[in-house]
Amino acid sequence: MASTDQEQQQPFVTLVSGDGFEFVLPRSTACISKTLAMMFDPSSKFSEALSGRCVLENISGVVLEKVCEYLCYNEKNKTQINVPDMDIPPELCLELLMAADYLDV
Amino acid sequence: MAMRARQRIRAPRRGLPASKGDDFETNWTDLSTSLKKIHTKDASNLSFEQLYRNSYNIVLMQRGEDLYERIKKLEKEWLDDEVKSKVTAAISSSLLLAKELAEVQDQANERREAGERFLAAMREAFEDHQLCMGMITDVLMYMDRVMSTDHRKPSIYAAAMALFRDHVVRALIRPDAQTKVVDVLESTVLFMIQLERSGQIIDRPLIRHCIYMLEGLYETITEEESSKLYLTIFEPAFLEASRKFYQSEGRRLLETGDAATFCKVAMDRLAEETERCTYTLASSTEPKVKDVLDKELIENNIKEVVDLEGTGVRQMLDNDRLDNLRSVYVLSARVDPKKTPLTAAVQKRIVEMGKEINAGAVAMAQTSAASSAPKKASADKTEGAKKPTEKEKPVNQQTAAAIKWVDDILGLKNKFDRIWENAFQSDHVMQSAITTSFSEFINSESRSSEYLSLFFDENLKKGIKGKTETEVDSLLDNGITLLRYVKDKDMFEAYYKKHLSRRLLMKRSVSMDAERQMISKMKMEVGNQFTQRLEAMFKDMTISEDLTASYKDHVKKTGDPDTRRIDLDINVLTSTMWPMEIMSSATRDDVQLACIYPKEVESVKQSFEQYYLGKHSGRKLSWQPTMGTADIRLEFPRSNGKIQRHELNVSTYAMVILLLFNDVSTGESLTYTEIKERTRIPDHDLIRNLQSLAVAPKTRVLRKDPMSRDVNPTDKFYFNNDFQSQFLKVRIGVVSGSANKVENQDQRKETEKKMNEERGGSIEAAIVRIMKQRKSLTHSNLMTEVLTQLSARFVPDVNMIKKRIESLIDREYLERIEEDPPTYGYVA
Repeated sequence: MASTDQEQQQPFVTLVSGDGFEFVLPRSTACISKTLAMMFDPSSKFSEALSGRCVLENISGVVLEKVCEYLCYNEKNKTQINVPDMDIPPELCLELLMAADYLDV
Repeated sequence: MAMRARQRIRAPRRGLPASKGDDFETNWTDLSTSLKKIHTKDASNLSFEQLYRNSYNIVLMQRGEDLYERIKKLEKEWLDDEVKSKVTAAISSSLLLAKELAEVQDQANERREAGERFLAAMREAFEDHQLCMGMITDVLMYMDRVMSTDHRKPSIYAAAMALFRDHVVRALIRPDAQTKVVDVLESTVLFMIQLERSGQIIDRPLIRHCIYMLEGLYETITEEESSKLYLTIFEPAFLEASRKFYQSEGRRLLETGDAATFCKVAMDRLAEETERCTYTLASSTEPKVKDVLDKELIENNIKEVVDLEGTGVRQMLDNDRLDNLRSVYVLSARVDPKKTPLTAAVQKRIVEMGKEINAGAVAMAQTSAASSAPKKASADKTEGAKKPTEKEKPVNQQTAAAIKWVDDILGLKNKFDRIWENAFQSDHVMQSAITTSFSEFINSESRSSEYLSLFFDENLKKGIKGKTETEVDSLLDNGITLLRYVKDKDMFEAYYKKHLSRRLLMKRSVSMDAERQMISKMKMEVGNQFTQRLEAMFKDMTISEDLTASYKDHVKKTGDPDTRRIDLDINVLTSTMWPMEIMSSATRDDVQLACIYPKEVESVKQSFEQYYLGKHSGRKLSWQPTMGTADIRLEFPRSNGKIQRHELNVSTYAMVILLLFNDVSTGESLTYTEIKERTRIPDHDLIRNLQSLAVAPKTRVLRKDPMSRDVNPTDKFYFNNDFQSQFLKVRIGVVSGSANKVENQDQRKETEKKMNEERGGSIEAAIVRIMKQRKSLTHSNLMTEVLTQLSARFVPDVNMIKKRIESLIDREYLERIEEDPPTYGYVA
């Protein structure tokens, strides 16, 4: 377990899906989600904040991948206008909506 | 979008972690144990995600409300059981006791320690609660999101804070006691502040944190800005305590009776309160507590402070305590933009000092009255052109008093200007106050215009000798400043005219440039009309110079062979512009016979008259022998056979008298009556001239029998062959020539009478001017208009205006049109 100080310096966080896939994201990107932001907030003393690793049990790897894609997409385009729509496979959209609600994206 | 219609939408896999958390109770037990762990600061091995998921699930199960209630209950229990007991345990008995008792010194320390302990506990409890609730809120974010939007409930954080407020802050400290924790908190903080005010050092951050707590708690659940516990509970109490404190502080300081200390303490207190509000309390309290301070400490006491005997403003002014005055000013400015007590005190002091100066001048003038006679004699002094160490001519003491008066006032003015600039931040209100006071006391001295004119006269005559231009400039400026205060400017004009005419005719003025400068300054200050006549006087002088020159040319051309001819310098003066009445002074009887001039002089006089009237027809020349001077050369045969020559500079009359003795053989005498008959010099002038010729010790060209100061009709006068003087040129002034002296009572009355006549004229002119324009006007309006028109020159007497109106009505310039309100109409 890393200490809080090191935690702050750590630029990446790891998201783990319910079926075991791991996604490593830049901290700032992950924190677009308010839930994740709170989770990794160094001032809260939860284990996620200390370890920089978070297991999201109710999100599958496929969905989490799409979520991470969206987060990166959001991060990349946040200063621009007129960005192209992100491609979302229709079969995933309901689950994605739920995940979005859960993560408060 | 197009794809969506065709493809199958996969149903979300609900209940992925179906094994646990399916039902509410399991989720809740999970959650509640974790929450308790958070409270006991044991959160590091809890998974945020797990907790979040738990609450998420519960909310998804539509049990959010239950969760909300349960969490509230959990919090309540936690606060009631754990936190409250901790806080109340920190309240020691001394803290409670001392609250009611007056603090005794030995108890104070104990109480302080207990207070600090209590505050620390309070702070810890609150901070813990805040932290935990932060974490719990984070975890329950999903619930918050749903609950506060869907069910319009306050967020769990606010709810928990309200719980803290009710169950800890407002808890009774003991089940049986009436006191609540918040009361103890309040009294403790106030006690701490009290300690700090009395100079002890307290733990500011600690109090600051407790204040933060009060600021973080709200009266209502909606958390409006105005319902902070700090504002509703603590602030009023604090302000009340401050009020009491400053009331007693003010009394205490007044009792010590030192205004300087008072000001210093007050300033310090102000700074202290600012600091306290920034570092200990909330900065929003600063204006409020300052209001209290202003009101209690300053406003209620400033008047007494200003008036404090021995140390008040008066003393500060006297001793030039600029820093203290500045404090007083700043304090007064805080409570009252007009600074009434301070201005009053300053004004009073100025007037007092001014009165002192006035009284000093009067006293000086009075002592001089007794000693003036011998002084007069010595006033005439021989003027040695070759003697460099020229002694200052001892001026008549009354004149000295006048000049001293002006100097003193200028000094006073300087002093107050400096104070005003340095201590009163150049405040306009103060300036006008100072100005009013100055004009008040200056005008309370009825001779101010005369004195001021004398001051100018003195300076222009000799004061500016050897001074640089800037010095002269500032000197004149100073004088002008005083002129601004003088209300009766027409009086001043009359005196100035009189003095100026003497300077010009007797060639006493040191520098014509300075004179002109003076006139232009006055013009700027008082206006064109004022200086018109003065300028005309200058013009006359220059014209006269030309005239003299051309007359001399004329004489040369006509080729008068007489080398013993008398040189003539003429000043032709326009009689309306010059103060004639002063020149032909004391000749009240109208049938004044012209003086009989000796034949030599008479011939020159006639020749000039001829010349002048030839150039300007229709004018009348009247000769003013009182104003002229003559240079005559006298030969004194000494007993050892030598002949001593002296050149005497004497007045015209004295010249006429001395020429009489040309025809009188040595040893023979002329009586007063004889002289009078032969010269027809008026008594007044004759006596004075004889005095200067025969009585003044240094210039005794004539011998008088009997030797006495007074000149009687029977006195005999001899030519004094033994006249001695170390100088070749001797100047014989006329005794009490009233050249630049304070007028005596009669002269004064005379001047005033004349002044009044002149004013009457001005008033009538003003009335007619106004009425011509307005056609009809009510009495009061007419009055005000007249007053404003004339105030630049003098302050007219209301009665005088009334009389003038009456007389204008009598003379049918005006008529009464209405009785109520009294209205006048202009009769064309």
